[in-house]
Amino acid sequence: MEAYIRGIGNISPQATFDNGVFLEEIREYRSARLQAIEPDYKQYIKPIQLRRMSRLLRMGVTSAGICLHDAGIEKPGAIITGTGLGMMEETEKFLNGIFDNGERLLNPTAFIQSTHNTVGAHIAVMLNCNHYNLTYVHGPVSFENALLDSLMWLAEKPDDKVLTGGVEELTESHFIITDSIHFWKKGGISNLDLLKDKNPGTIAGEGAAFFLLSKQEDPGNYAIIKGLSTRFNPGKDHIAVRYTEEFLASHNLGMDDIDLMLLGLNGDPVSDETYRPLLQHLEGKTPGAYFKHLCGEHYLASSFALWLAARIVKSQAIPAAVMLNPGQAPGKINRILIYNHYQNIHHSLMLVTSC
Amino acid sequence: MQELTEKLKKEIIEVLNLEDVSPEDIDADASLFGEGLGLDSIDALELIVLLEKNYGIKIEDPKEGRKIFASVRTMAEYILEHQKK
Repeated sequence: MEAYIRGIGNISPQATFDNGVFLEEIREYRSARLQAIEPDYKQYIKPIQLRRMSRLLRMGVTSAGICLHDAGIEKPGAIITGTGLGMMEETEKFLNGIFDNGERLLNPTAFIQSTHNTVGAHIAVMLNCNHYNLTYVHGPVSFENALLDSLMWLAEKPDDKVLTGGVEELTESHFIITDSIHFWKKGGISNLDLLKDKNPGTIAGEGAAFFLLSKQEDPGNYAIIKGLSTRFNPGKDHIAVRYTEEFLASHNLGMDDIDLMLLGLNGDPVSDETYRPLLQHLEGKTPGAYFKHLCGEHYLASSFALWLAARIVKSQAIPAAVMLNPGQAPGKINRILIYNHYQNIHHSLMLVTSC
Repeated sequence: MQELTEKLKKEIIEVLNLEDVSPEDIDADASLFGEGLGLDSIDALELIVLLEKNYGIKIEDPKEGRKIFASVRTMAEYILEHQKK
């Protein structure tokens, strides 16, 4: 199963919503919390619709709109969304309302928007699109499963166009709770020095990324998603090298065929240890890059990685800020392999190639 | 009455997140739904919650809503009438 990426839209802690530029300026954060850089939503959403939308809904609907506009598509054949935690802000508002008002006087808007499929549903309502619409809530592999469903859909309906994406927000309370259980780094570390810091924890992020997938060749296509694999809880004996080699072999490829390896390094020594054998294996052969210093760690971080890979393949340019060794950038970038894992439990691989 | 209508306008703007609307933009006699402010059924539910939360007035009969929420002035009149009871 494979598909072309025809359009993209991405709102992240970097200035990524404008498809006319590609990480020309990297935003530096000196805290463990990376917040999305949001566009002026009034340029994308009617005021009457905007006023009731929560922040994540605005992010999701806008990135989907940017993606559809980029692809020149008005109504996709399916809308498939992934989210790890869903509409956290509205859920918190609704639950706080229950608590503050003794389980009475609950605001309907927060209730309506607290469901996980709010973004996918709103996109459908705004487009008047009654087609297949599904939201995957599968923790750190929500995006991968949304993508898998999209590829399966296109395998059955090759004339369709599928809008697929992922949305995730980081609320203040979620950050504080996860910080209290030592998820995040302390002491105002710069995200650009993420891999230099050897203390436990990583940096938190959020974002909304959408992709318009199609089976049709088009000069405007960004890249091809050639393969996708997920592995759950492989245990202590999991070897990233073997997993990667098996995946590549299933596509009749070897490590030497990969021009760039995009890794989900997040600065946490325990988490990054998983990638170490792979990095040793790649050393001197395949250039490595990383992305979580730009988008932060979150359940949908792999959607940012796919966006990054698509932009690199299309532009044939790699921003220096993502290279593990800036002097090792490849000349031609035909194949990018994305390896991401979350707490060594959820692993995924995505193979992205040029058109 | 005047004081209450002005207070209500501010509360409506806040509760319904009418970002680009100021109290001066709302005519106390203009229709809240349809052509006036263009509110919808979800807004009606929010206004019911507003009345109960801020003024302790519970609307028992949903059919009453159409009259009560016709305009800011009718809301204010309903509040004054029912708070006295």
